[in-house]
Amino acid sequence: MKYSYIKPRKKTPFTPDVMLIVIFFSITIIMLLSTYFFLLFKDYSFEKERTKLLGERVVLEKNIAKMDKQISFIKEQKVLAQRVFTQNMVLKDSITNLFDLVPERITLSRAELLKNGLILYGVTPSKDVYNFMLQAPLRSIFQKSYTSFYPAGNGWLNFVSTNYIDNDESEELDSED
Amino acid sequence: MLDKLFESLYLKVFVNIVIKEKSILVYIEIHSKKGVIDNVQSEFETLEVTEKMIDFIQGYIKESPYFYISILDNSLEQGALPTCKKNDFALYYDISSCEYKCYEKRWTYYTSKAELYTLEKKFSELGVDFIFSPFLIVENFFQDKIKGSLALYALVEENFISLAIFEESKLLYAEHIDIHTKDEDDELFLVANTNDEEDLHLDEQKDGIDLEDIDIDEDDELEDFADIEDLDSIEEIEEFEESKDIEEELLESDTVFDEPDEENFNEDYQRFIAIQSSINRFYKDERYESRFIENIYIADSVSVSSDFKKYLEEEMFFNVYIRHVEIEAELCELAKEELGL
Repeated sequence: MKYSYIKPRKKTPFTPDVMLIVIFFSITIIMLLSTYFFLLFKDYSFEKERTKLLGERVVLEKNIAKMDKQISFIKEQKVLAQRVFTQNMVLKDSITNLFDLVPERITLSRAELLKNGLILYGVTPSKDVYNFMLQAPLRSIFQKSYTSFYPAGNGWLNFVSTNYIDNDESEELDSED
Repeated sequence: MLDKLFESLYLKVFVNIVIKEKSILVYIEIHSKKGVIDNVQSEFETLEVTEKMIDFIQGYIKESPYFYISILDNSLEQGALPTCKKNDFALYYDISSCEYKCYEKRWTYYTSKAELYTLEKKFSELGVDFIFSPFLIVENFFQDKIKGSLALYALVEENFISLAIFEESKLLYAEHIDIHTKDEDDELFLVANTNDEEDLHLDEQKDGIDLEDIDIDEDDELEDFADIEDLDSIEEIEEFEESKDIEEELLESDTVFDEPDEENFNEDYQRFIAIQSSINRFYKDERYESRFIENIYIADSVSVSSDFKKYLEEEMFFNVYIRHVEIEAELCELAKEELGL
């Protein structure tokens, strides 16, 4: 307003029509950009989750491998335990059989169970009682049976009976088990 | 910053409106960064803002949002004061109801607020960006002369004369005269200073003018000048004639003249009377520094007759230089200056 009495009206290229177009386009661009950034963010978060899950997978795979090992170990142990149980059952049966074998008149003072044999210590009223009542069943079980007697104080006899199964047979028995 | 960028991208359209006696002249100039691309003008034989005019203008202003509509102020109550100090305004004119502006801290131009408002209202459909005082055109048009010695500068329009006396860029006196309505005032002024016989002569002039009247009248008027300044100094005029510049001006002015006809003659005589009485006021009013005027420069927008020049030369002993002016183009220049182009 150097010379003129009045101030000029403000001039702007933004007429209502231009403003409408500008607003329309800016809203469109803003929406497109926001969608773009939203997708970028989603992509980023998915990627992050993926790496996290991959890490977890590796850990889980490791755990699975560890557990597999444990399972196979436990299975082995189970097999072993079953074998021990079976053997114990067999042993228990054989001991029960052994004690059933011993007649009432003979008294055992000690018994030694060996891998392939049995050693019995005891007293018997006479050699005959022993030979008929204990020697016969023992011989049916063991291939080799040796008995030695020595007198006890009251007229009875102490005896030591050593019985062995042949090695070949015992091996066969083992392999059968 | 952004505004400047947009501004440089668009064309600028200058719409310049000059309200004449019976018509409105619209001059449009289209500017790019490099300069004027196109200009066009149209004159509408009406004083109202018509649909046709609005359509014509809007056809051009639609091209760019940067369009500026300038109007030359045609209000009756306008003028210029030889000071920029607010305290001194009252000495010359009561401008309490006026809008005013100081020109380069040298002088002030003013106009009635009510008339500005009326003008803005009249063009409200188009809107107005600039309203310029005709005194600005005088100052701009005679920029090269105003710096020189004392002279009278006048912008002659169909209805008005804007008259200013400058000495070395300093405004001494200014007046805006309506040549049709000012007559009565002039007569009153003359009545106060002359005898009854002169009054009678002037009354006759109102109805019709003939050369006899003029001669009688002007002879008497000249006596007034003799009282103020020594007319013997007219010899000095010869010095001016030697100057090439002046010769050129005279040649130019000769080409401008139309063949005189009855109507032009009448109007030119009224103009002459208006200038004469205005100069009388300048000489007689004690508020102004009374100095003898030798040169008168006229910016002529209406193609005044050679008689007009003759009156001024013969009756008032002025060296008269007439330059043709395209007011609408000058208005456009002012608008460009205002925008700093």
